Amino acid sequence: MSNSITAYMFLAMLLLSIGFLGVISRKNIFVIYMSIELMLNAVNLMFVALSRYNDLMSGQIIAMCIIAVATAEAGIFLSLIVVLYRRKKSLDSDIFNTLSQKEAL
Amino acid sequence: MGDISYLLPLLFVGVGAVVLMLLSYTKSLSISSIAKIALGFLVLAFISNVYYFGELHKVYPYENVFFGMIVSDTYSVYFNSILLVGAIATILIGWDYFRPDRRFTGEFFSLLLFSTFGMMLLVQSAELLSAFIALEIASLSLYVMIGFQTDNIRRVEASYRYLVLGSLSGVLFLFGTALIYASTKTTFLGNIGVELLPQTGKDISLAIGGATLILITFLFKISAFPFQNWTIDVYDGSPLPVSAYMASTFKVAVFAFMLRFVAMDLGYIKDYWDGLLMGVIILTLAYGTFLALAQNNLKRMLASSSIVHTGYLLIAFVSIDIIGESASSSIIYYLIAYFLSAMGAFGLISYISSSDKLRLTYEDFKGFSHVRPYMSAMLSIFMLSLAGLPGTIGFIGKFYIFSGAIEAGYTVLATSAILATFISIYYYFKLIALMYFYPSPILSNVPPLKGLPPIFIGFIAIAVLWGGIGNTFIAFFPSIDFLIDVAKLSHRSLFLQ
Repeated sequence: MSNSITAYMFLAMLLLSIGFLGVISRKNIFVIYMSIELMLNAVNLMFVALSRYNDLMSGQIIAMCIIAVATAEAGIFLSLIVVLYRRKKSLDSDIFNTLSQKEAL
Repeated sequence: MGDISYLLPLLFVGVGAVVLMLLSYTKSLSISSIAKIALGFLVLAFISNVYYFGELHKVYPYENVFFGMIVSDTYSVYFNSILLVGAIATILIGWDYFRPDRRFTGEFFSLLLFSTFGMMLLVQSAELLSAFIALEIASLSLYVMIGFQTDNIRRVEASYRYLVLGSLSGVLFLFGTALIYASTKTTFLGNIGVELLPQTGKDISLAIGGATLILITFLFKISAFPFQNWTIDVYDGSPLPVSAYMASTFKVAVFAFMLRFVAMDLGYIKDYWDGLLMGVIILTLAYGTFLALAQNNLKRMLASSSIVHTGYLLIAFVSIDIIGESASSSIIYYLIAYFLSAMGAFGLISYISSSDKLRLTYEDFKGFSHVRPYMSAMLSIFMLSLAGLPGTIGFIGKFYIFSGAIEAGYTVLATSAILATFISIYYYFKLIALMYFYPSPILSNVPPLKGLPPIFIGFIAIAVLWGGIGNTFIAFFPSIDFLIDVAKLSHRSLFLQ
């Protein structure tokens, strides 16, 4: 398995699944943010491994661009978490229910 | 005029966004003068864009710099015009809404321009990574625009909801790109399609999975059935001009990219999607209609009915491989029709509610025609157009889509769409009936028609009527036929070499 891409792909898929589970099952908004970053890095790993496997540089460049975009996303995520925390003094996503659909139905 | 002339619209909007960001730092300019500068940049971009409108071309500007990642063709010029008009319209209808006492500052207009820049880049991108970056520029600026009034918890929560789900769908887009890259070793539109041809004899199951993940992102962004839950909450929680901006322009940009991707590359993969998409369409129509019937708040009703309109658009999207040119031109025409009607309706409601902070429900409009007859007339025109009554632009749009679906053999879809239209008359006409058939008005402190926004909204109302009856009166003034012809031309420009 040393020269194969399967191990890398398996690890990337594992990270992606862990991240996805984190987004849908965790309550803490900070953990949700970290799960999304984990998913982005799993995709990065996939691109880098594929580009090495195929002897193409494009995958590595794509990974660099994704890191840049993830940084911009982190800025907005963290500032929003600060705004929400100042208001509610909690990071539990269950109490953000001002916009629930029950109100309208 | 070299390659630069094709990039001028993008440059004007991008440079304008940076200039506005720097200007708003100094705090010496008032918010209305910043809005005027933003408007100036957008109008410049629009003029430089219209220069190529309706001319059959396909150019990769500065190919040694961008390596063909950015394209300029008749198709992108057409969609850029819609997006620029959308951004201009957002500033104009929000002219009285964006005030300093509502905590709007100059940075808001900079973000508006950044988001327009991202959408225009999305329309012009001919590669999956540049499409992802463009999508993220557009959505990241939108998240901040939604939550700009940080003192209002509804805005911040709407922004947070959209941010989590939007970045999740962005990750799915990237995952899909990775799978396509694994299967075809390229991310350029056009090259992907060549690699997927059956003649190459390759196993394309990875590419099918990847394309389906990108389809999921697309369905999420246009709020189709399994991914529609964010729409109502986010539209309800965001400031009204921003809801109008999201409903009209973002959907247009995402549709533009997906149409280009499917038309250029995914001809073979689309066959696998047919059953899936048919289910999605019927459920989108049914669930959207159900949600719209249940709402009492006007803003939430417009948000849920936008889900139904997504369903109509997807019908033409399904039939694109059978009746290609007329299907894509009917999508483009319907996008314009929905854009005008929704922009007008959202704009008028934001003007009515801009005097105080009330949330408008159906009951508030009882007897409204006795206080403000012209406003009720305009609101009725927009409701008629959204419902698709003859004489408005919405009717022509629906007519092209339904007749195209029947022509392509999707009778079931056409029937369910017509049923959804029948039911939609209930929730649109309820408003008209309440406005005209009650003697005593409830809303009394509505501002009179004064200033820029009402003039502009009246202009949109005339355009809605003109799009419905246009060419029967004056043959040579641009109207339906002209728009449809250019839409067909832009579909053809996708396949130029």
